[in-house]
Amino acid sequence: MARVNNWQIGREMSYWYPESRPQKQFAAIFDVNKCIACQTCTLACKTTWTSGKGQEYMLWNNVESKPYGFYPLAWDVNILSKLGPQTWNGNKYEGQTIFESAPAGERVLGWRPEEIDYAHPNVGEDDCAGARIENGASLAVPHMSWFYYLARICNHCTYPACLASCPRGSIYKRPEDGIVLVDQGRCRGYQECVRACPYKKVFYNPMTGTSEKCIACFPKMEQGLQPQCFVNCIGKIRMAGYISTPDKASPENPIDYLVHVRKVALPLFPQFGLEPNVYYIPPVHAPKSYLLQLFGPGVFDAIKTYESAKDDADLAGLLGLFGCSEQVMPRWKRMNDSVIGMDESGKEIVRVPLREPMHVRDAFDTKYDVQRTNCP
Amino acid sequence: MKTPELNRRQFLEALSAAGFGAFVLSASNGWSLDSVSNPLAVYPDRGWEKVYRDLWKYDSKFCFTCAPNDTHNCILNAYVRSGVVTRIGPSMKYGEAEGLHGNKATHRWDPRVCQKGLALTRRFYGDRRLRHCMVRAGWKKWVDAGFPRDEHGKPPIEYFNRGRDEWIRVTHTEAAALVASALTNIATTYTGEKGKAKLTAQGYDPETIEATGGVGTQVMKFRGGMPLLGMTRVFGMYRLANSIALLDAKIRGVGPDKAVGGRGFDNYSWHTDLPPGHPMVTGQQTVEFDLHAVEHARTVVIWGMNWITTKMPDAHWLTEARLKGTKVVVIACEYSATSTKADNAIIVRPGTTPALALGLSHVIFKEKLWDREYVERWTDMPLLVRMDNLKMLRAKDVFGGELATLTNQTTVLGKDDKPGPAGKHKNMMMTDVLRKEWGDFVWWDATANVPRPISRDQVGEKSPVKNPKLDGAVEVTLANGQKVRCRPSFDLMREYTDHFDPKTTEELTWAPAKAVEDLARWIAQVPGTTLFGIGMGPNQFFNNDNKDRGIFLLASLTGNVGRLTGNVGSYAGNYRTAMFNGAPFYINENPFDIELDETKMSRPKQYWKAESAHYYNHEDHPLKVGNRMLTGKSHMPCPTKSMWFANANSILGNVKWHYNTVVNVLPKIEMIAVNEWWWSTSCEWADVVFAVDSWAELKHPDITASVTNPFLCTFPRTPLKRIFETIGDIEVFATVGEALAKKTGDKRFADMWKFVRENKTSVYIQRILDNSANAKGYKIEELEAKAAEGIPAIMENRTNPKSVGYEQVTDSRPWYTKSGRLEFYREEDEFIEAGENLPVHREPIDSTFYEPNVIVAPKMEVFREHGPEKYGVSRDDLSCDTRQGRNVVKTWAETKITHHPLAKDGYKFVFHTPKYRHGAHTMPIDTDMVAILFGPFGDVYRHDKRSPFVAEGYVDINPDDAKELGVEDGDYVWIDSDPSDRPFKGWQKNKKDYEFARLICRARYYPGTPRGVTRMWFNMYGATPGSVEGRKTRADGLAKNPRTNYQAMFRSGSHQSATRGWLKPTLMTDSLVRKEMFGQEMKKGFMPDVHCPTGSPRESIVKITKAEPGGIGAQGLWRPAALGVRPSYESKEMKAYLAGEFVDGKPGAGSGLGSNDNQKPGAGSGSGSGSGADAGKKVS
Repeated sequence: MARVNNWQIGREMSYWYPESRPQKQFAAIFDVNKCIACQTCTLACKTTWTSGKGQEYMLWNNVESKPYGFYPLAWDVNILSKLGPQTWNGNKYEGQTIFESAPAGERVLGWRPEEIDYAHPNVGEDDCAGARIENGASLAVPHMSWFYYLARICNHCTYPACLASCPRGSIYKRPEDGIVLVDQGRCRGYQECVRACPYKKVFYNPMTGTSEKCIACFPKMEQGLQPQCFVNCIGKIRMAGYISTPDKASPENPIDYLVHVRKVALPLFPQFGLEPNVYYIPPVHAPKSYLLQLFGPGVFDAIKTYESAKDDADLAGLLGLFGCSEQVMPRWKRMNDSVIGMDESGKEIVRVPLREPMHVRDAFDTKYDVQRTNCP
Repeated sequence: MKTPELNRRQFLEALSAAGFGAFVLSASNGWSLDSVSNPLAVYPDRGWEKVYRDLWKYDSKFCFTCAPNDTHNCILNAYVRSGVVTRIGPSMKYGEAEGLHGNKATHRWDPRVCQKGLALTRRFYGDRRLRHCMVRAGWKKWVDAGFPRDEHGKPPIEYFNRGRDEWIRVTHTEAAALVASALTNIATTYTGEKGKAKLTAQGYDPETIEATGGVGTQVMKFRGGMPLLGMTRVFGMYRLANSIALLDAKIRGVGPDKAVGGRGFDNYSWHTDLPPGHPMVTGQQTVEFDLHAVEHARTVVIWGMNWITTKMPDAHWLTEARLKGTKVVVIACEYSATSTKADNAIIVRPGTTPALALGLSHVIFKEKLWDREYVERWTDMPLLVRMDNLKMLRAKDVFGGELATLTNQTTVLGKDDKPGPAGKHKNMMMTDVLRKEWGDFVWWDATANVPRPISRDQVGEKSPVKNPKLDGAVEVTLANGQKVRCRPSFDLMREYTDHFDPKTTEELTWAPAKAVEDLARWIAQVPGTTLFGIGMGPNQFFNNDNKDRGIFLLASLTGNVGRLTGNVGSYAGNYRTAMFNGAPFYINENPFDIELDETKMSRPKQYWKAESAHYYNHEDHPLKVGNRMLTGKSHMPCPTKSMWFANANSILGNVKWHYNTVVNVLPKIEMIAVNEWWWSTSCEWADVVFAVDSWAELKHPDITASVTNPFLCTFPRTPLKRIFETIGDIEVFATVGEALAKKTGDKRFADMWKFVRENKTSVYIQRILDNSANAKGYKIEELEAKAAEGIPAIMENRTNPKSVGYEQVTDSRPWYTKSGRLEFYREEDEFIEAGENLPVHREPIDSTFYEPNVIVAPKMEVFREHGPEKYGVSRDDLSCDTRQGRNVVKTWAETKITHHPLAKDGYKFVFHTPKYRHGAHTMPIDTDMVAILFGPFGDVYRHDKRSPFVAEGYVDINPDDAKELGVEDGDYVWIDSDPSDRPFKGWQKNKKDYEFARLICRARYYPGTPRGVTRMWFNMYGATPGSVEGRKTRADGLAKNPRTNYQAMFRSGSHQSATRGWLKPTLMTDSLVRKEMFGQEMKKGFMPDVHCPTGSPRESIVKITKAEPGGIGAQGLWRPAALGVRPSYESKEMKAYLAGEFVDGKPGAGSGLGSNDNQKPGAGSGSGSGSGADAGKKVS
C-alpha cells in the first residue's frame, strides 16, 4: 500500500500503487438537472460496443432513476452498507475509503453481484421517494416526493479500484489521457475488478471469459471527438474533456471551470476514495441529506451556484454549449450573448447564442411572391 | 453466470463465435504474466487496443430521416460496414440549417436523435422485418374462387379466419393484382340500389347507406397514416383514393362530373391528437408554438404533457430555459418524469382539466386580474348574448340596415367566385351566403350606455370596444320594438366560474386551493408571458373540447394567445399538413385530366371524400341516442367494406376498443391491406401485407415538417441496397395503379404514377413545394442534397419560433370565427342542446369515481340542455352507448355524492394510458435493446419464463391501493373494464377470443400516482391469437406468433383491452365555423382533423384482481421487492440510504453544512427516516 493524495476527500489516503497521474486526465461533466433518462446514451454505447454474444446484459453506460433505480441491483446501497456510516468534516473526509477498509488480505472492500442482479437494468424507473402521493399535491423545490436520473459510465478514476484489484495486472491507466482499460488479451476473467469497482462498471463476459468496461470511446477521443454517449446525449447534459488538479485549474478549460472554479460539479461517492473523474451537477429538487451522501459536502454550494445561473451568463452560457459539437472543446469563452467552444489553440469550433434568436418574416415575401403565414 | 475455464484456444474460438473476429485477429499474442509494476504509470504492450479502434471503423456513412410521428423528424447518420448498417448517430448538422433569406438555426439544435432511432439497426434487419409481400391464405382463396357471396352479399365465413390463418408469400405484382380485383369487386357489389339493399340486409344504419349515394367506391376506406410524415409517400394513399373515381366512372358508367372516389380516413383527429376545442375558439385546426419559444417566456405551464419523455430532443429547451430563469409549472395526474424538472409540480385528478381551467379563471375574475385590453380587443367577451334564444345578439336585429363591408384582410366570395389555390391565399374568405348567416354583433358601451354594432373586421387595433359593459344584464330594444334581455359573454363566463371557487376546485380537481390561487395570480401578474404547453393527457378524455375552451378562457384573460412569449400549444401528434398547403396539387390531381408533362402544373379536383375513422371504431355506427341522431349530416360515415392503410399501426393494431374491433367489426370488412416494413398487430389481422422499404432504404425522396420545431426535413434517397424484397410505399400505389389499369382497361390508373415509375417522384414534390405558402422557393434537388449531408431546411413560417395567432395579434387579423374574435360562447343549436354553450366541466365519461359525463354547473338561465327524456331515454340509463349523448346537469355538491355505476362491483380505478419515452407512434417498445430498459421488468435473459418478451406491459398502482387488493409489487394482475362491452361485446360466450383479449400484466408499486389512479404505458404490441399460441406452444415461452414472428408484450390483452370507442356530440356538428384544412377559406361543419370526433382513450374505470405471485415461477415475491429495495418493501439498509444516513457531515468553513436546507425527505412529517416511514403521508 502506498500513500497518495486525493483532493476530492481533502487528504492523503492508502492505495495499492503509488500515485502517478497521467499527462492528461479524461473527465466529464453531467448536469443531472437536464437529464431526461431517454437512454439514448445507453443505446449509443450498446450499439457501438456491446451488441455481441455474452454482452446482452451489459450496459457500459446506463441511466437509472434514483433512489429506487440500480444497475446492478442495489449496487450503491450494498457498498454503502458494507462501508458503514462515515463522516465528513467540512471538505475533509474523516471516514474510511474502500481501500482503507479492505478486509485483511484484500486490496479493496468490495462485493460481487449475482448474475440476476443485472436482470432489470431500469428497475425503479420513475419510482419516487419521499412522501407518498395520496391525491392532489403542490410541490415546490425541494420536492417532497422526488426522484431524479443518474447517468453513469466508468469514472476513469485517478485511483481505480478495478486496477488495484487485478491480480494479473491486466488493467491499466493510459498515461496520455488517463483512460482506464481492461486488456482483453491478458485478462483471464478472475472478476476481481467486478468485485472491487464500487460503481460496478466492470462487466464479466461469459462468452469471451474476460471482463470488459467503458473505454471512454478512446478511438474517438484520440481523434478529438467526444465519446458516443456524449454526442448522442439529447438532454445535452454532458461535456467531455480533460481535468486538471485543483492547483493547476484553468478557467478557460470548461471542465476546470465547472469543477474547480465554480465548484458546481461534484464527484459521485467521493468517500469511496477513487477520485472518480465524472462530475455531476446535483439535482436541485432532491433532498440535500440524501445528496450529501452521494456527492459529498460540496453539494450545498453547488446547488446554490446552479440556482444562481439565471443571473450568471457565464455559467448559463457554458451549460448551453453542452452537446453543440461532436468535438472535444478544451477551451471556451463567452462574448456578450454568444458562447464559443474552442480547440487548444483557441480556434473556434462552435459558437452558440445564450438564447435562440427569434425571427419574424415579412408577411409577404416579395422575392418568392407568396404570403408567409403561421396559419397556412 | 459462471466463469468458464477457457484455455487460450477456446478463448479465441469463443471470441470468433461471438462475432468478434476483429478481436481475435488483432489482439496481442498471449504474453506471459509479465509483472506490471504500476499500471497507473506504465503498461508494457498496448497493441491490443487496436481491436477497439477496428471496431469503431466504418466503410461509409449516409443520411436518412426518421419520422415516427413524434414531431422530431431527425436526419440521422447511418454507418455502414461490409454493406450493413452497424450503427446510427445524429447528423450534428441542424446548426447549419438555413432559410431562404439567410435565417439560420444554431448548433443548440444538435444533437437530434433518440434511443429508438439508434435501435433501428435492430429493425432494419430484425426477425419481424417484412421480407416480401404476404397474403392470407383464406382470403386469397376467396379471391381465387371469384368472390363468392351469399344473397346479402356477405362472403362465406370460412374465408375470413383472420388472426389464425396461414400466410402465403407473393410478389408485389401478385399482391397488387389481388387488391385490384378485390377493390373492383367490392365497389361493384355495393353500387346502386342493389348495393344499398345488400348493405341494408347486412344491418348497416340507413343514414350511412344513404351517405354512399349508391356509389360502391364509398365503402372503401383508404388511409395514409400521418401524411405530413411523407407528403408523397404517405399522402399518396389519398391520391390513390382520388383516382378511384375512375373505377366508379367505369362501374356506374358516369363521367368526370359525377364520378366519386374512395373515402379517406382522418389522421390527427383519429389519434386523439386534435384538441377539438381549438377550432371552437379560434376557428382553425390548432394553436401551437415551436418548443424553443420557452426560452423567451417568463412562465411555462406544462399541463398534462410529459414533455421530457415525449419531446425528448427538445427537452433541453425546457431545462435550459429553467436554468436561465423561466418558471416551470407542471400539472399532471402523477408525479411524472417532467414533474422532476418543475419549480412547481401540481398533481391533479385525471380528466378534470376543464374544471381546473375554470377554477384558475375564477380567481382572475374574482380578483379582477384580467388583461382588459386583450379581453376587449380579441375576445367575444364584450359581445351580447340574447337570453330569449341564447343566440348572439345580431347588429341587424338592433340597428337594421346592411351588413358591414369587410375590408380587414377578408374577401367575401360571390356565387361565381373561386377561392383559388390555398398557397396563394392572402385574405380570409367566406361565401356571401355564410357572411349573411353570421351577420355582425353588438357590444354595450358603458360610457354612453348604448348598444353598438361591431363587425368581424374590428379586432385588435381596429377594435372600437372601450369601456364595454362586462357585468350584468341589459335590456336591448330591437329594431322591431321587441325588448330582449341580454348579457355579455363575459358575464356568463364569470357567473359560471363562480361555481369553481378554490375550495370546490380543490375538491373536484385535487389541486390544492392555494396552488390554484397562487398560479392564477402569478400568470396574471405579467400578461402575455406565459406559454401553456398542453399535452395528450387532458386531450384523451371525453371532455377534451371543454378542456380547450377552458384553457383558452384562462389564456385570453391573461393575454396569452398569439404572442411569441405567451400562447397556448397542444402537443399530441404531428399535423398541420397545411404547412405544405400545395398538397392538393398532388393528392387531388384530377384523374380524368392527368398532367404528364413534368414542366407543367397539375390541375387538382377532389373526388375522394373524407371520413372520421371513429365511426369504424364505434362498430361502424354513427351516434344515435334514443330517437336522436347526434352525428351531423356533414360527418355521416359510410359502411366500411375495405380498408387499406400505410404508415401506421394505429388504425387497426392499436385501435381503441381493439378487441371489439377485431372480434366484432373486422368480420364485416372484406379486404384489409397494409403497407408495412415491420410485422405489426395490424399485419396480424390483415389480408394483404405489402412489404415496403424502411427509412434506411428509401429510393424515392420525400418531405416532412413539424409543429414543434422550425425545420423542413427531406427524406433523402439512400445508397443502401434494399435488404429484402421491398419497394417504396409510393411504388406500391404505382403497382396497384397498374393492376387497376389492367383490370379495368383504363390506363389513367397507371398514368397517375408515371413519375414514380420514371424515378422522378421529385416532380410531384416540386409541385407541392411551388404551391405551398411556407415552402415556396425551395427546390427539391437542393433540399435533398442538403439532407443527404444531414442538413434540414427551415420552414418559411411567418415567425421562428412559429406561434399560431401571431398575425391575429400583431396584424390585427381576425380569427377564423364568425365574430373574428376568440369565441367562448357557442350559440349553435348543437351546443345549446348539449348544455355546452359555455365552456363547461363535464365529468369524464368513464374515468371518474362519480356519475359519468355529468355537466357540473349550478342552475343558470343560460343552460337549456336537452336531457335524456328529450331523446326518449331514461335519466337512469347510464349504459355506455347512451351515456355519450347524456346531458344531465348537477352542481358539484350534487355530483360529489354520486358514484360511478360500476363502483359497487369493484371497478374503482381510473386506468389511463399515456405515451412514454421508450416507444413512439410507429415504433413500439419491441426492439430488444430498448425493451430491456422499459420499466422495471425488462430482463434480457427472461429469468421468469412467464414474461412474454424481454420486457412486458405493466400497470402502475399506488402501493396503498395495491395492498388493499392483496397485490404485491411485481405480481401479475387481471385488469377488467366495463363487462358490458369490454374487452369486446359478447366475451361471456366466446372463450376462444376472450383468451387473447383479457388483459393480464405485472403490477408495479408506484408511489407517485394518487390513490385510485392507475397507469399503463402505451406503445406496446398487444396479444393476438398467434402470440397466445406461441406462448403456449413454443419451447422458449415467448408470446411470439410461430407463423409470423409477431411479438406481443402481453401474455394476453393489451393497454387497449379497457378502452372503447366514444363519440362526443359537440364534435359532430354541421354548424361550427372553421377554416378549411388548407388556405384561408372558412366554411362550417365536418372537416377531417379539424372538426370531427377524437375518441377518448383514457376513459376507463377498471377492476384489478391478483392473478399470480410475482416471484419466478409464480413463487413468492418478485425478487427486488423480496430484497427490500422497492417502495414500501425497504430493508433497513435501503431506509438508511434514502435518508442519507450513510454519511454524516460536520459543518466546515463554507460547506453550508448544518444549515436549514439540510433537510430529510418528507421533512415536515417529523420522521426523517425515509420513504418507508413516510408511507401514507399526504403531500400538500
